[in-house]
This record gives sequence, structure tokens and C-alpha cells, in this order.
Amino acid sequence: MVFYIKRTIREFSQGIKGIIGLFLNILYWIFLGPLKKRFIRAESVFYQMRFAGLRSIVLVFFVAIFTGIVLAMQSAYQLEKMGAVIYVASLVAVSLCRELSPVLTALVVAGRVGSSIAAQLGTMKVTEQIEALETMAINPVRFLAVPRFLALFFMLPCLTILSDLSGILGGFLVGTRSLRINPYLYMQTTFKYLQLKDIYTGVAKSFVFAIIIALVACYEGLNTTRGAEGVGRATTRSVVISFILILFADCFLTAIFYFSKI
Amino acid sequence: MKKEMVSLVGVSKSFDGRKIINNVSFDIVQGETFVIMGCSGSGKSTLLRLMTGILKPDEGRVFIKGKDITTVGPEELDEVRKSFGMLFQYSALLDSLTVNENVALPLKEHTKLDENIVRIIVKMKLSLMGLREFQNHYPAQISGGMRKRVGLARAIALDPDIVFYDEPTSGLDPVVGGVINRLIMDLSKKLFITSVVVTHDMSSVFRIADRAAMIHKGSVVEIGTPQQIKTSDNPYLRQFINGSPNGPIDFFREDLGIFEELSL
Repeated sequence: MVFYIKRTIREFSQGIKGIIGLFLNILYWIFLGPLKKRFIRAESVFYQMRFAGLRSIVLVFFVAIFTGIVLAMQSAYQLEKMGAVIYVASLVAVSLCRELSPVLTALVVAGRVGSSIAAQLGTMKVTEQIEALETMAINPVRFLAVPRFLALFFMLPCLTILSDLSGILGGFLVGTRSLRINPYLYMQTTFKYLQLKDIYTGVAKSFVFAIIIALVACYEGLNTTRGAEGVGRATTRSVVISFILILFADCFLTAIFYFSKI
Repeated sequence: MKKEMVSLVGVSKSFDGRKIINNVSFDIVQGETFVIMGCSGSGKSTLLRLMTGILKPDEGRVFIKGKDITTVGPEELDEVRKSFGMLFQYSALLDSLTVNENVALPLKEHTKLDENIVRIIVKMKLSLMGLREFQNHYPAQISGGMRKRVGLARAIALDPDIVFYDEPTSGLDPVVGGVINRLIMDLSKKLFITSVVVTHDMSSVFRIADRAAMIHKGSVVEIGTPQQIKTSDNPYLRQFINGSPNGPIDFFREDLGIFEELSL
């Protein structure tokens, strides 16, 4: 038992050190690499943006629209008792933009894109492709991790905004079809209570979540050992660790925004 | 006197307290094809990783073209690495890139050559390997022998002075293995490339080597020309060449303790 706890603590501290090291390495290649004429390949970044962003649109849309629908119905169930059904509009919009969209989108992307990054880099590691890059004097972090990091960093906030809109659409459909709220009144109530800060706090969260997903997935992938089993393990760990860190970071950021009255 | 391209001086390396490479020293001169042979687990692939700077030795020094790669920083190591190529045992081609893109990768990363020039160089390298028509295929779409040849085309893309080969003929049929051996010889004789080949394929040793070293348990047990190797009475070498299960190389000896462990 003591051995197990010691090993877990050692692995955890190694992981934290490794992830911080990877983050600094990525920042080095983004900001200092170009000064040394070691550029990041734009085509790789665009390819990863297409994969992480464009190809996640449908999934994010469906997750958000159904969340919006469910949220509208559940809140209507409570608000009907107080005769305040109209406030479904603002409740859906604010809770989606501030909380649900950034978190759900990040979890969806961690599952779809993070796992794929970990599996891809893990396979490259166990099939000596990473070693091949090193012997070709190509830094694997610059070549593989940086494009994926940048792609997630720019695409996750975009997906979060898409999720905000899709969720509001879901709520709008329930509000206007089932609850018989006038569409104009629904939108007016939405924008009356939804403030710009509700949107940008959500988007700010998504930047942090993107960093978490990219770092965890790349770290797990680049440190894969022991063949096919190792790739599976890296993929699972990438998703589980990302989920935990996203929820932890969300709690932390929400507290910061709440106590600083943002 | 020929220039020394690769030199190992008293190199040792351990993993988890177990010595894998034990005080190895040798020099490889320009244009030479030097073969490192030994049984599986003898430490020859580790030796190759030490020579390419993937691993750092615990003791000793590794010189590539006179530069000690055990003490240089990452940027200097990258400069040294541009002067050599490496063919991996399983080719290690990037599977998300086509054959063409794999060979072009070192050129795009390390030169400022125009796109058209890169395309021409890639075509030339692939022609040398007899693979021009497969340039738009992905690694998964071609055979193991072809992948090895693409790996070789990529290894020589930057016209290196040294090429390291990790088991270049393993897993290939004798004919394709022969093709790879001929390519190694051609590169060595025609382009004057220094070749360092790690293998346990004895037919390759006698065909391509100018000199060969036998490694056993991380130490060099014999070093010499193919003729000297053939006529050597070193018991390790004789057993290895004859492929005999009996002799000083005994895989089961280490496991004898199992009977004591099981109290039999």
C-alpha cells in the first residue's frame, strides 16, 4: 500500500514536471524558434486546425443543441411553478455561455481530438518515428506538438462560441415551440440578461482548457512506452487526466471570476 | 591516412544498473563499411543509438567527424546529425506522409532549396532506389522491402557523409535483402559514404563489410576484416558464424538460477 502511494506520488510529480517542461518547450518554439530561423510549418498548423476544429463542428453542434434543449425543458419545469417561464431564455443563455459550453466543448474535444493526438504520437513513438525525427535533426516538439497545440488553442474557443450559439438555438426551439414564448420576446430576454462578460469568461476558460488538452495529449503520446498496450494506455490516460484537469481548472476559474465579480 | 568519421573511446552504458555496453572503443574511417554484429540483446542497437546521440553514454566519448557528441548542446548535436543519415530496422517512415514527402522532409527542414529543386532531388533519390513510381504512395501501401528503400532514400536525402543502418536486411526475403546490400555497397563505393551497419545476418557481413566487430554482452570480442573474421578461432565468433546453440554464448545460462528460485 505504502509502495503504491509512493509510486503514485512519484508518477504524479514526474508527470507535472514533464507537462511543465513540455509547455516551456512549446513556448520556446513558438516565440524564440522563429528568431533562430526555426519556423513552425503553417501547413501543419492548418491541417491540425482542420482536424481539431472543422471536423469537430458537427459533434459540438449536436452536444450543444441537445444541452440547450434539455436545459430549457428542465428550467421551464421549475420556472413554470413561479410563473416565470420567460426567464428560460436568459437562464439557458447565461448558463451555457458562462459554464456549460466551455466545459462540454472541452470534454468533447478532449475525447475526440486529445485521444487521437495521444494515440497518433504514441504510435509514432513506439514505431521509432519520433527517434527518426531526432536523428534527422528535427525537434519532435516543434514538428509535432507545436502545430497541435496552436490548432487547439485557436480552434477550441471558436468551437465554444459555436456551442454557445447552438445551445441558445436549442433553448430557442423549446421556448418558442413547446413553451409558446414569442420568438422576438425570447431573443430580447436572452440579450437583455446575457452580458458580454458572460461570453468572454467562457471563451477565456476555453483557452485554458485548450492548453490542458494539448499538453496532456502530447505529453502522454510522446512518453508512450511498451508497444500497442502502451498506446492504449496513453490514449486512456490522456482522456482521463484531461477530464480531471478541465473540471478542476473550471472550478478554479469560476471561483476567480466569481470572487473578482467578473 | 583516411579521416576518422566515427570514434568510440571507452564507451559504457547501463540501464537499471545493468551494464549493456561495456568499455567499447573503435574507429571507423572515411568510406569504410563497418559492420557491428552480435546476437539479439548483445547491445549492438544500443551502440548505434549512442553513435547517433539518441542515448548518452555513462562513461566514455563518442566522436562524429571529430566532434564529441557527448558534450555538445542540442543545437550543435543537430548540426552533427545533419551530416549523417540513419536507416531504421522498421524504416520508421512517417506514416502520415507520402513516400515523396518522407524523402523531401529533411530537405524542406534543413535547406532553403526551391520547391522544384527539392522535387528533382527527391525524384533522383527515389530513382536510385528504383521507387520513382511509388512516390505518391503512403508507407502502409508499399511492401517492407520498399519501405526500407524509402528509408534509405530519406537517409541520403541530405547527401550525408555517414549512414547508420539498423538491421537493414532483417525481415526481408533473401533477394530483397541482396538488393539492400547492393545499395549499401553502391553508396559506399560510388558516393564514398561511410557506412555503419548493425546486423546479425552473416551473409551481409561477408558481402558488404570492409571491417566487422563482434559484440557480446556489450563488449567487443573480435574486430577485423571479413577474411580475418572467417578464419578467426575466437570461440564466440565461431559459434556465431556457425549458428551453434552450444558454446560460450549461452542464452540459458542466465536462467539457471530459476531452479534455486523454485527450490527444485
